[in-house]
Amino acid sequence: MSIIQRAAWVSAVGVSVVVGGGASTAQASEVRLGGAGATFPAPLYTKWVSEYEKVEPGIKIDYRSIGSGGGVKAITDKTVAFGASDAPLTKKEIEAMGGEDKIVQFPAVIGGVVPAYNLPGLSQPLNFSGDVLADIFMGKISTWDDPRLQELNSGVSLPKLAITPAFRTDGSGTTHVFTSYLATQSLAFKGEIGAGKQVKWPLGQGGKGNEGVAAVIQQTAGSIGYIEQNYAVANKIAYGAVKNKAGKFIIATPETMSVAGEGAATTLKGTVLRADIWDQPGDKTYPISAFTYIIVYKDLSNLKTDAEAKALVGFLNWAISGGQKFATDMDYAPLSSGVKTAVDTALSGLSHNGKPIK
Amino acid sequence: MTTDASAISAAAPSPNASGGPARSLRRSFRFGDAMLGLVCRGSAAIIALMLGALVLVLLTSAMPAIKQFGLGFLVSSEWRVNELERPLKDAAGQVVMEDGEIVMETIKPAFGALPVIYGTAMSSLIALAIAVPLSFGAALFLVRVAPTLRIAGPLSFLIEFLAAIPSLAYGIWGLFVLAPFLQSHVGPAIKATLENVPGLRWMFYESVTIAGTVVERPIPITGRDMLCGSLVLAIMILPIVTSVSRDVLKAVPRTQIEGTLALGATWWQSCVAMLRYGRSGLFGAVMLGLARAAGETMAITMVIGNNNQINPSPFAPAQTMASLLANEFAEASEGLHQASLLYVALVLLVMSLLFNVIARRLVVGKASPAGH
Repeated sequence: MSIIQRAAWVSAVGVSVVVGGGASTAQASEVRLGGAGATFPAPLYTKWVSEYEKVEPGIKIDYRSIGSGGGVKAITDKTVAFGASDAPLTKKEIEAMGGEDKIVQFPAVIGGVVPAYNLPGLSQPLNFSGDVLADIFMGKISTWDDPRLQELNSGVSLPKLAITPAFRTDGSGTTHVFTSYLATQSLAFKGEIGAGKQVKWPLGQGGKGNEGVAAVIQQTAGSIGYIEQNYAVANKIAYGAVKNKAGKFIIATPETMSVAGEGAATTLKGTVLRADIWDQPGDKTYPISAFTYIIVYKDLSNLKTDAEAKALVGFLNWAISGGQKFATDMDYAPLSSGVKTAVDTALSGLSHNGKPIK
Repeated sequence: MTTDASAISAAAPSPNASGGPARSLRRSFRFGDAMLGLVCRGSAAIIALMLGALVLVLLTSAMPAIKQFGLGFLVSSEWRVNELERPLKDAAGQVVMEDGEIVMETIKPAFGALPVIYGTAMSSLIALAIAVPLSFGAALFLVRVAPTLRIAGPLSFLIEFLAAIPSLAYGIWGLFVLAPFLQSHVGPAIKATLENVPGLRWMFYESVTIAGTVVERPIPITGRDMLCGSLVLAIMILPIVTSVSRDVLKAVPRTQIEGTLALGATWWQSCVAMLRYGRSGLFGAVMLGLARAAGETMAITMVIGNNNQINPSPFAPAQTMASLLANEFAEASEGLHQASLLYVALVLLVMSLLFNVIARRLVVGKASPAGH
């Protein structure tokens, strides 16, 4: 382990030296920042970076989508200016970064996980409930014309076709959100499969990444998998409505996911913000919603200059305000006003080598 | 003066003309010898060092998992990264209650390599079973038939070209062409033919334990399964096995072939004699194929279905050691999970090493001295 870590560290230092050398030969006023982490918000972050360069032309930000785990590792090793993760930091990870008072973690945008399926000849979206989804992924419901599925979808003629569940094989925030939600819906699921970034699925086909699962779904008639809502939209994969706490069947949209975040706004306190926003109350709430987080050090001493620290803070503040309007266009859910207030408060305490950032 | 000068001038060129170049040539030979010796020894040492370093790094990184699971890792089939929390049950299977509340037990993550060892061994063996007869046939054709038809050159080129195609290309072809074809045509046809044959039910049905009860359910034919993985592997190792076998058969002395024909052997008997003669070389070709099949990563990850399970059915998804690493390593968190993945890598390394050594002893040891 330690050897690998050291190798990663050495290579990261090597890269940063090369990048630093390149920067010094470029314009003196140009500031370069690096971020790394979650793949799910990567399309939006890339859009933010290019849009922010129009607002502040001197600032170049490079976001590498290497996965949530990699993002947490990178910010812990201080090889990036900010890390991004779909799952909030665990206690252990917080300790590794120096404790809760050294870190700022905040939700940047909201995403939803949808049950996406491949049933040829079906026009309207199917209805699912948490316990039915749990039983499908545990293998208890094995055909599409199962009475329990039929009960949720009266009037739809469901085919007599075997169900092939599709799952993520890599550790992912998507799996974390989906299994955490199902564990609240089914005790059996909680005990047999459990919740986590990666779990042991009893049956079905594995795919690596959202694209791997999407490929399984698109190629296999009768398959059902869980993927990010915007990924399903972008790839035109059909996905169903899920029964929320109020008993309503809700399709994931930026609006229904944003409402889920607002419900948790009052619980966001301090600088390490986290809230599980699946299974939130409310008539219009999509039940499998989740925040995706950005993680920075409270004191940005991992950045060399005041200019870099100032640039990072400027970018983060813009992302949660001006940047949010790009979220809806790209099928992410923007932060609601209550959540934004909590994030503003958390970001106001950032400093560089002890000096507050103007 | 003049005589001295002429003596010097006469004496001077003579060693230059005869002994000079020879001496400098000899000196440069010595220098070259030393350099070559150094380079050869260095290269050999580097190879040994690289293998040693590889084993050392894997061993130290996998140590937490080795300490935790020991050799039981090789026979355990549980691979679960997350913790489970479920109601504690007593010996009689009753849920334990305390003060009217259900007592929960936490089950720690568990890692075992048996499913991936099975997946690697099975997919490689099926691939070899398909590819080796085809390769030997193709090699015999190239050596004994093709030259008379004047197509040996282009065919050989084609086979070498196939060997050079990156594995990703095979994977993409497998995923987008072969898997849908298996799903829509081959799988259903096999199922329709063999489903009711007694003793073959395991190919199409699986028994799964769901919440304590055993349920038999049909295996959905998805096209991405052990069969597809093995077929793609077979196609991938075909060129390398063919091309090495061809070289081996080419090296069989002409007198041997002519001898068999002179003794009245049929074309078939003569070919068998040829294969027997080159068996240790042919075995080397098979070993190369096996090594490539067992270590293949990208292509197999795309087509094998990626499910850590042991299911004898060719239509069930599976996982190999290499595909497990490809799937999980990038996102593996620190600690036991990463250590277990490195343990799997170590097992893969040791397994291929052991297999090679044992098989080589078995076959090369018995081979005729002329065979190598």
